[in-house]
Amino acid sequence: MLIKAILISIWAGIAGIDQFNFQTHLHRPIVTGVVVGIILGDMETGLITGATLELIWMGLVSIGGAQPPNVVIGGIIGTAFAILLDQDPKVAVSVAVPFAVAVQGAITLLFTVYSPIMHKFDQLAVAGNVRKIKWLSLSQLPVLFLFNFIVAFLPIYLGVDSARTALESLPSWILDGLSVAGGMMPAVGFAMLLHIMLKQQYIPFLLIGFVLVTYFELSLIGIAIIAIAIAMYDYFRKSTERKETTTNGI
Amino acid sequence: MVSDVKKEQVEENRMQKVITKYDLFKMAFRSFFLQSSFNYERMQAGGWLYSILPALERVSKSKKELSEKMQRHLDFFNSHTFISTIILGMIAAMEEKKQDGNSIRAVKVAMMGPFGGIGDALIWLTLLPICAGIGVSLAMEGNVAGPIIFLLSFNTVHFLIRFGGIYFGYRSGINAMQKLKSGTKDIAHAATIVGITVVGALIASYVSIQTPLKATAGEAEIKIQEDLLDQIMPNLLPFGFTLLLYMLLRKGFSPIKLIGIIVLLGLVGKYFGFL
Repeated sequence: MLIKAILISIWAGIAGIDQFNFQTHLHRPIVTGVVVGIILGDMETGLITGATLELIWMGLVSIGGAQPPNVVIGGIIGTAFAILLDQDPKVAVSVAVPFAVAVQGAITLLFTVYSPIMHKFDQLAVAGNVRKIKWLSLSQLPVLFLFNFIVAFLPIYLGVDSARTALESLPSWILDGLSVAGGMMPAVGFAMLLHIMLKQQYIPFLLIGFVLVTYFELSLIGIAIIAIAIAMYDYFRKSTERKETTTNGI
Repeated sequence: MVSDVKKEQVEENRMQKVITKYDLFKMAFRSFFLQSSFNYERMQAGGWLYSILPALERVSKSKKELSEKMQRHLDFFNSHTFISTIILGMIAAMEEKKQDGNSIRAVKVAMMGPFGGIGDALIWLTLLPICAGIGVSLAMEGNVAGPIIFLLSFNTVHFLIRFGGIYFGYRSGINAMQKLKSGTKDIAHAATIVGITVVGALIASYVSIQTPLKATAGEAEIKIQEDLLDQIMPNLLPFGFTLLLYMLLRKGFSPIKLIGIIVLLGLVGKYFGFL
């Protein structure tokens, strides 16, 4: 069992990397299910459980940086338990959901505590240290591998019940507080952009963009088209003005 | 005379074509790691720099120039990972043609939001469900071809977009700049209009702050968020908070200090229940 648990965990580590890098989508339940099935010696159940989980979680994709319940760990743990405990694929979902939600929280946490790394980037750029910038850019790969390895290993090796008890014993305000901080964090990035780009004459456009989302819930594409229309009007009005002044000069 | 020499130099810069096809391929490959240093402060900024580096190294004439360019390419960036290669190609073309740094920044910011939206709709909400749907229908019958067909069909389109996108973006960028020869200042201005509008929109959609606080006035209970703040303006807190950070930056606060404050605020806010 130990070897099988390790093999599944290695697969979880690879899938965890694929979720955010490469993104070939071998991390989706439809693929992870059959791989876990092969490792545990029951490909058929793995295939069908994976497909069932895929169908239920089809809409769970990360849009615009927000994290949905984690399909990687949900899919792998769900399938493993369906096979190990000889359960119906539908039961696998209810076992997998608390883990998928917990990992969603943990990933949010990872992206929050990873924020200070940007300042290391800034320093390295000033120093012109290309080599270190390259390493730093890839630094999350081993973190994701290890994290997914451990998160998959513990419940499969120790059993689902003790894993769930451990999960529930975590103080919730720390994780919730960090996740609240994660929600506020993009404001730093935007404030930095404004610090560089914003001049008095551009304030109206900041307000227009903000209001179009807040009150009209317009998509970014629609907003960009409106902004392009304004920019074009401004651009052509200026070039006509310039032509007129030169004609007058002659 | 002087202006003639200058003109010649500008012409020469325009004629220069130094970024090779292999550089572009390398950039598209590196875009696989666009999120390998993902974080909530600047999201894909580190991965962006890593991906655009081959172009920057190629067009920079000195170490100092490279360092300046790298600093410029660490702004907040977040877009769809697949079609971001189109933006990469276009920005590489701008860097090669020695466009002014502010225009480059503005074009980048203006493109990331809408491209992200297009990618989400086209890939996450269309391509993925179609490919997964086909795979699932086969797998449900116990056919191992299900997952294989899913991976093959999805990734054929995926790789075409990623590697095709970079050449498409680069060529479009070069063509666009040949057409827009005059008035780089006006172009920078136009791009900044679009960029700032997109930033305004992104603040409203990415920054999230809400308070669960309630106030009781006699019998009535007032939810501060729904009954008060949202009545004044939805997203009032995210907007106000971003402006506050902007002021603090102008006052000379370092971004790292701001992050510390935010983490503390999140923990304290949750512990005492006002966030």
